[in-house]
Amino acid sequence: MSIIELSDISKSYRIGEVETRAVDGVSLSIEAGEFMALVGPSGSGKTTLLQIMGCLDKPDRGAVVINGQDVTRLNANRRADLRRDVIGFIFQFFALVPVLDAYENVELPLLLSGVGARERKERTLELLDAVGLSDRIHHRPDQLSGGQQQRVAIARSLVKRPLMVLADEPTANLDTANGEQAMEIMRRLNAQTGAAFIFATHDPRVMSFARRTVRMVDGRIVDDRVVQ
Amino acid sequence: MAWVKLWVMAYRDLTRSRRRTFFTLLAVALGLALLIVLNGFIAGVVDDALQNSIRLQTGHVQVRAASYPDDKRSLRWQELIERPATLVAQALAMPEVATAAPVLWADAVLNTSRESVGLQLYGIDVASPLYDPIRRALVAGEFLAANDRSGVLMGKRLADSLELPLGATVSLVTIDANGQPQEALFVIRGLFDSGVLVYDEGAIFMPLAKAQAYTLVGDRASAVMLLLHDKESAGQVAAALAAPGLQTLTWRQLNALFIQTMDTAMIFYMFLDAIVMLIVAVIIANTLLMAVFERIREIGILAALGLKRRQIMQMMLFEASIIALAGIVVGVILGLFGVALLTQYGFVMGEMAGVASTIPMSAVLYARFAPATFAWLSLWTFIIALLASLYPAWFAARLEPVEALHTN
Repeated sequence: MSIIELSDISKSYRIGEVETRAVDGVSLSIEAGEFMALVGPSGSGKTTLLQIMGCLDKPDRGAVVINGQDVTRLNANRRADLRRDVIGFIFQFFALVPVLDAYENVELPLLLSGVGARERKERTLELLDAVGLSDRIHHRPDQLSGGQQQRVAIARSLVKRPLMVLADEPTANLDTANGEQAMEIMRRLNAQTGAAFIFATHDPRVMSFARRTVRMVDGRIVDDRVVQ
Repeated sequence: MAWVKLWVMAYRDLTRSRRRTFFTLLAVALGLALLIVLNGFIAGVVDDALQNSIRLQTGHVQVRAASYPDDKRSLRWQELIERPATLVAQALAMPEVATAAPVLWADAVLNTSRESVGLQLYGIDVASPLYDPIRRALVAGEFLAANDRSGVLMGKRLADSLELPLGATVSLVTIDANGQPQEALFVIRGLFDSGVLVYDEGAIFMPLAKAQAYTLVGDRASAVMLLLHDKESAGQVAAALAAPGLQTLTWRQLNALFIQTMDTAMIFYMFLDAIVMLIVAVIIANTLLMAVFERIREIGILAALGLKRRQIMQMMLFEASIIALAGIVVGVILGLFGVALLTQYGFVMGEMAGVASTIPMSAVLYARFAPATFAWLSLWTFIIALLASLYPAWFAARLEPVEALHTN
């Protein structure tokens, strides 16, 4: 069953006098539990497509259906609800809240969802343990290495048990060892939780982990293949 | 529970740029402290001047002849009260009245060998508690006796300026009830220092009987002055004493010009208050706007995590509230300390106190604790701080997540 269905999505940006079509008539269906890489050169539209899937941005044309619900025309608050409840995010720049420690960063989405204190604690500690940071729970982001910060972000993206985790260049700021460790953790959690992982990347290391690769060029999908 | 975390985040965000937070808090605190000191001082000055005017000049209620003019100190028989003792007895029989006494006012010129000075002459009932303030203010000599036929009291400042020692003989000239000049010699029996320059430099007191004889008014008086236990019962007492041929005036009517002047001055001070609050508002708005600009990407992250616009706005308003509340606490402490100092030591006006000759201002002015005013000022500071933070909060809340996430 598909958890997200994109039909004929287009999105343009205007920078000064120049209009750039970032996504051009893309249709795509993603199933539950997929581990998929959205690949292509810089400017190919993969980040824009990821943002549209994550309800961070709206398409100019086309429809986005998440879990059976057309989300294309939802207002800002409803889209915030959807992001909070069914989507996890991992960003290239780690994107932790600097004034919160590792535990609080992971716990925050649960707080926003109104999850009870005991369950919050259990799920937060479980995820921090799963990413190997049980001994760093009270460290703030500036006391953690880049790899550790990205692992906190991975834990945070999964703590709400989302349908899908959208990751934009998750290894771009990590060295080889930390990048591979992060990918290993995500693959393991993908298997354990059943959440779909969708990566926008041009990092061959990430592609090597993916079970499906969708290639984009100039805002269009030019190749979509399942890797055996 | 989420709002608790929003408070925590707001608080911790403030500790990220401690210097900026400290100076913003200081601006709020100093602004409020300034307002509290200013308003406490003004309340003290207004109270002091009104109190002086009531105690020394107008009383709470005055009864005069209906024809007594407002604009001059007339000694014409038909404009004076006949048999003031009857009125005094009638007033003293009322439970609201603390004391009552007749008084005779006249213009006089004091001549020395070197100069002449215009003065207000008070013929007073020397036994009346109405003149306790003058009795207490004596710094040399003695108070007048009722049967003293040649003694006067005058301000020490005036005596010093005219180089007149205690016991000196002075010549006083007045225009009597018949419109004829009268000159007589008097001995300075006592010198007082009331602290109110209008009196210390411009008044001379003598027993009522002597003043009546000197000005040829018989047993008449300019007015009967009453002090009440509670000044709010002035209207009731004035109404009870009203009679044909008399006018009864309350302290509000007698000090109408002063009260009106003070009301006008209060509007000016409210403008000053508003300007100080506006400065505080601009500083808070600037601080929060800077905080928002520094954290645009972070706000994008929070939005991506599902924080709603309303919650982002709340977080910014919480930051403003924390700065405002902390600033208010420090400001109130500083302000009350300032008011306490001004209550204890006062502000020496010196010659400035005599500038407004119609306002009986003391030479040393003291502040007064005005809790209700201070509470209002604190509340307004808080409200203004929140209003000032609305724009930065709104700015943060309307950021599009996708744009915020791509801001460096």
